[in-house]
Amino acid sequence: MPEEPLEPLDASGAAERIGVYVCHCGGNISDVVDVDRVATEAAGLEGVAVARHIMFMCSDEGQKAIIDDIKDLGLDRVVVAACTPKLHETTFRRAVVRAGMNPYLFQPANVREQASWAHPHSPLAATLKASSLVRAAVAKARLLEPLEKVSVAAVHRALVLGGGVAGLRAALDLARQGLGVTLVEKSPFLGGHATQLHTVFPTEDLARPLVGRLISEVMARPDITVLTGTEMVGVTGYVGDFTASLRMTPRGVNADLVDIDAAIAACPVEVPNEVDDGLSRRRAIHRPYPDSVPNLPAIDWAACTRCDACVKAVGGRGIDLDDRPTEMDIEVGAIVVATGFNHYEPYQGEYGYGQSPRVVTLPQFHRMLDPEGPTGGELKIEGRVPRAIAFIHCVGSRQIEGVDQPGPSGKLNEYCSRVCCTATLQAANQVRSRYPQTAVVDLYRDIRTYQKDQEAYYVDASKGGVLFLRFDNETRPTVEVTDASDTYPLRVKVRDTLTFGADLEVPVDLVVLSVGVMPSDVSGLIDMTKAPVGNDGFLLEVHPKLRPVESAIPGLLLAGTAQAPMDITESTSAASAAVAKVTTLLAKDHVEMEPFVARVDPSRCDGCGLCLEACQYAGAIALHDVEVEEGVIEKRAYVNPVACKGCGACVPSCPVEALDVQGWEIAQYRAMVEAITAEPVAIGA
Amino acid sequence: MSENPSDERATKVLVIATLLCSYPGIDATGQAHMEYSPNTYVLPTPDPVMFPESFYLYCFEKGIDAILIASCGTDSPYVGSYEQLAARVGSTYTRMKERGIDIRRLKLTAICSVCMKAFVKEINDMEALLAEIGPVDRQAAAVVA
Repeated sequence: MPEEPLEPLDASGAAERIGVYVCHCGGNISDVVDVDRVATEAAGLEGVAVARHIMFMCSDEGQKAIIDDIKDLGLDRVVVAACTPKLHETTFRRAVVRAGMNPYLFQPANVREQASWAHPHSPLAATLKASSLVRAAVAKARLLEPLEKVSVAAVHRALVLGGGVAGLRAALDLARQGLGVTLVEKSPFLGGHATQLHTVFPTEDLARPLVGRLISEVMARPDITVLTGTEMVGVTGYVGDFTASLRMTPRGVNADLVDIDAAIAACPVEVPNEVDDGLSRRRAIHRPYPDSVPNLPAIDWAACTRCDACVKAVGGRGIDLDDRPTEMDIEVGAIVVATGFNHYEPYQGEYGYGQSPRVVTLPQFHRMLDPEGPTGGELKIEGRVPRAIAFIHCVGSRQIEGVDQPGPSGKLNEYCSRVCCTATLQAANQVRSRYPQTAVVDLYRDIRTYQKDQEAYYVDASKGGVLFLRFDNETRPTVEVTDASDTYPLRVKVRDTLTFGADLEVPVDLVVLSVGVMPSDVSGLIDMTKAPVGNDGFLLEVHPKLRPVESAIPGLLLAGTAQAPMDITESTSAASAAVAKVTTLLAKDHVEMEPFVARVDPSRCDGCGLCLEACQYAGAIALHDVEVEEGVIEKRAYVNPVACKGCGACVPSCPVEALDVQGWEIAQYRAMVEAITAEPVAIGA
Repeated sequence: MSENPSDERATKVLVIATLLCSYPGIDATGQAHMEYSPNTYVLPTPDPVMFPESFYLYCFEKGIDAILIASCGTDSPYVGSYEQLAARVGSTYTRMKERGIDIRRLKLTAICSVCMKAFVKEINDMEALLAEIGPVDRQAAAVVA
């Protein structure tokens, strides 16, 4: 971290010798824009030493023209009028570097996407606009200064938050790339929600062995430190050098515990078992299943009464009810957020939920189908195989104002949870194959089996006798709990659009609610990191297509369902993508970032501190004591270029205009506006 | 009615576009050859929250007749920036009113990276507005309050 405030980089010694290059783009530009006229007008602009038009500026020939002119004509700025800078800005920056020029003395003008392609039927207007855009680019180029990338020493270790499939995948991939990894999981056990499934689509692998293989690989790596029962409670620093504070909840059990079953059996406390989504109960000392990792049980401190029954049952060996939380700090270069999701919890009475034990959620139904679940895999309700089951889609997803009831947060889940359709059809197919005498009715709004090999579940359901009924956006099915005189305990009523709005009534023994995916509570993480969150409550990527796994916080990557509803395939893909970003960041000894961060003009700053109030990022701006003249110390704003995100929120807060974002300065914008609004240069003037 | 009936010059619309959201969206509009007024000029920015009120007034003073701030909206990757931007636009409106400048000349909207139709509609709406109210009174914008 630099000790002193950034000083403006001095380019005042450089003569203004700007080279302007107008690209034909093989006709994409020149078929509409008169590139000769644009170049000729540019040649008459103040500070322009040379202006040319070339068939393909991105070609070797085009780049060579720039390089030759820099060397031969002594150019000190370069403007290229071509396609969008999203395509070739890097190309041209590299070209000027090859000629010995600072890369940030290059300025693009977008005359293809924003001139020739946008105004193909107005060639004169497009040409005039292109000329204006070149004028603006030249005006900005005249004010450009050489910049240096922000560099910070990189710690070659990554922190992975979350021990579900995405976090496990990320940890393993990071270690294979040669990075040290600390994987922290809030709960006492690894595996996450995937261990609550029986089989996974579309491969139909058994879930626990599948996740178990991943866990085994992680646990076998000496370069991965796994901390269960652990949360990140603080973080400082920046990309390349974060300090993460971790709090470890004690397990209360150690490897000296031999007779695990006796300890668990002795516990008198029973609470709902989260692994079975409340369909069974567990003890205060517990483990989710016999092959869990870690294999040792853990004490649920919220439930434990410290009665000592478990301690006595095992002769006092291996259980410590006086275990205390511990904290530690670790240094990491990047953080992968794989904090997962929660299932939507229907409210009391939603489709009969909570009013009848015969209305269950899909995750609960999954547990009923699992041989390791609370029913041993037997699908029985009150001792009988159900005669008919109704599945209802989109419960807690795609909610509509005025139709659906908001959750406790007061917000509707307007998004599609994406994975529930296939999961529902998978469950429906399992019922039809294992219990062919059980009728299955599927009530849906829309069905999205969008991933590879998932449409087969819909086809199989259709061929397997699942009856589909469709409700529209404005109406919802209702579930009525009948009295003892009825032959069925539940009746589902639906207005079916497949039969042109017929009101149908379906008697069933069981209703399964296909509940949606909700973001897990990461409010603490958001407070600590200022990572942005989307309207849906999930962590927000910088851009869904261009930077899909990066958060706006450099060095904070997103993996899996912390970002959006995803299935296991997508979660692990996202995790691997996040790892690719981390390894790119930490590949060298230093992390380099673009220099587009705020900077202070210390000669203007009067130390009022208003910029600190405008800035949302901890440590990005501070007031430092500066000796303004001999013996006179005053406060001046100081920007930490590593912590600054370059948004510019501080800029307008400064009453003396002492702040700017490097490369995006207000004076440069003013110059561009002046150029756009100026009269065109007369050719030949 | 025009604020400046004597000025018959062609109007100009400035679009302030975010690098992550609207700028790619405007590029996509061009890639789709969806046409809009050529008197539209796009300036990219990391985030329009960086502009002070005086910048907008400067644009009007120089002859920009309308400004569309094509932000990321609440999907901005920068924490709190949209709220700060909205407040800044609000205070700019106050200063525009003080100068007798129609506040419809400055519009804050959100344009995403695939919002091509929305962008064209915004520009068409802005052009229709300028056809109604005419060029900006540059002298009024230059008044120091």
